[in-house]
Amino acid sequence: QEEEENPKPAFDFKSYMLQKGNSVNQALDAAVSIRDPKKIHEAMRYSLLAGGKRVRPVLCIAACELVGGNESIAMPAACAVEMIHTMSLIHDDLPCMDNDDLRRGKPTNHKVFGEDVAVLAGDALLAFAFEHMAVSTVGIPPSRLVKAVGELAKSIGTEGLVAGQVVDINSEGLKDVGLAILGGGSDDEVEKLRTFARCIGLLFQVVDDILDVTKSSQELGKTAGKDLVADKVTYPKLLGLEKSRELADKLNREAQQQLSGFDQEKASPLIALANYIAYRQN
Amino acid sequence: KQQRSTQFDLKTYWTKLIAEIDQKLDQAIPIKYPEGIYEAMRYSVLAKGAKRAPPVMCVAACELFGGNRLAAFPTACALEMVHAASLIHDDLPCMDDDPSRRGQPSNHTIYGVDMAILAGDALFPLGYEHIVSHTPSDLVPETCILRVIAEIARAVGSTGMAAGQFLDIEGGPNSVEFVQEKKFGEMGECSAVCGGLLAGAEDDEVQKLRRYGRAVGVLYQVVDDLLDAKTQSEEDEEKTKKKGKSYVAVYGVDKAMEVAEELRTKAKKELDGFEKYGEKVVPLYSFVDYAADRGFSVGDSS
Repeated sequence: QEEEENPKPAFDFKSYMLQKGNSVNQALDAAVSIRDPKKIHEAMRYSLLAGGKRVRPVLCIAACELVGGNESIAMPAACAVEMIHTMSLIHDDLPCMDNDDLRRGKPTNHKVFGEDVAVLAGDALLAFAFEHMAVSTVGIPPSRLVKAVGELAKSIGTEGLVAGQVVDINSEGLKDVGLAILGGGSDDEVEKLRTFARCIGLLFQVVDDILDVTKSSQELGKTAGKDLVADKVTYPKLLGLEKSRELADKLNREAQQQLSGFDQEKASPLIALANYIAYRQN
Repeated sequence: KQQRSTQFDLKTYWTKLIAEIDQKLDQAIPIKYPEGIYEAMRYSVLAKGAKRAPPVMCVAACELFGGNRLAAFPTACALEMVHAASLIHDDLPCMDDDPSRRGQPSNHTIYGVDMAILAGDALFPLGYEHIVSHTPSDLVPETCILRVIAEIARAVGSTGMAAGQFLDIEGGPNSVEFVQEKKFGEMGECSAVCGGLLAGAEDDEVQKLRRYGRAVGVLYQVVDDLLDAKTQSEEDEEKTKKKGKSYVAVYGVDKAMEVAEELRTKAKKELDGFEKYGEKVVPLYSFVDYAADRGFSVGDSS
């Protein structure tokens, strides 16, 4: 509403992210309450509410709003996306995987709660994501919600996140915009958003790889230089730093082209998001 | 009732369903790139000798209310996927540290701990996706699909099977009932409830299925523990005591047998109201007797 009253030439991405991120944080806090057994729920909340940029859930909300939905319709799905993302981080950090001690500037989940609880807390977040989305989404036809649940499942299974970890490219793929189905997007619109998401997902990874070799642990809030030590295939290693930066620019342009057919005012959060991912420093 | 359930040929009913479910599971997890993860997933889901008790329970509960079994198969497969996923994670070195499962090396023994974690992580969502993409829309309304997904997620989640596994590891006095209910009752409960939901059962009928399925699930495990105790040497017994909680280990054989009889009675009592559905209720009775008596072997690869 406010934006309509004083249209500004530059979209204020920072306050948009802050405001939407706050809503997401509140919704997450309310969704996962402490129940018995307490320790699992504490472990779930420890990682889920550890801050983080909430890029994925905000993207989900923005995509839903772009095609005519609103924040309250998208919120359970947005929370589900963040729960699943958190699950993957908890499991990826385990000693048998990436063996990370630090995440978002805090000790990793298994360092605090033990490996067994970390595995279970991840599993529980994954399960709750689906329960929450199926039970708490209101205001849309069940057929649309079923489709969106299918999208979410696909985005994490072997075709999505898990496959990324297996082939060790870590292209987490911000596929969550498939959830624009929630907002009532047409097939064509959802396809465009899917391409957009694929581009910025890859962009996210390229920039992550670049930051890993150019920034310190303190600046990143996680262990820097890890990819080098772990002998991972990264873009700077494959292409060199200069070509990696060029690739990042190209992906950003390609992502933004997908948005050209939409209402530009409603697309501005997504445009700003792409730029944010491209130019972020941590 | 007793008589009818003996006359009913459960073994044939069950064996036929296992073959159908095995075939559908085989198709549901084709090997694609990256192959390693699919192989690990298939290894556990398609393990030989699996009894497919959750899928069979789900199909039988669906048919009880006149539902078409085609409506139940995708959910039946999903139950097997999420069940396999939680067993893979339960066996991990940081959990129960079990090198074998169903007489074969456990998933991480073959594929490594990292792959075993990922295989589980992939199987959970594959289950939900399979329900969404394969449930015939002309047979099951979307609202039912959403309730089924929520039910499965609840059963495997932080107040269900994950809670059971947590208490099994972390222990605490008097937790045996809780652990058994959660680790073994949830799957039975969830399977029966899903079948009812898919067939459009009334809420009070779903509640009865809930209690029935839970009792059968726990009963099966208590009897398993009793059978184990009979064949085990003292050395093994020590191991069992250390490793997990069972009624037999905690209360001894006599009390466990008492509990089993109570559960048999309880499970059958929940079926009382379903007599009006005629012969369709017979498989559900026979599951109770099978769980208690093990009159025959099913699903064994031998």
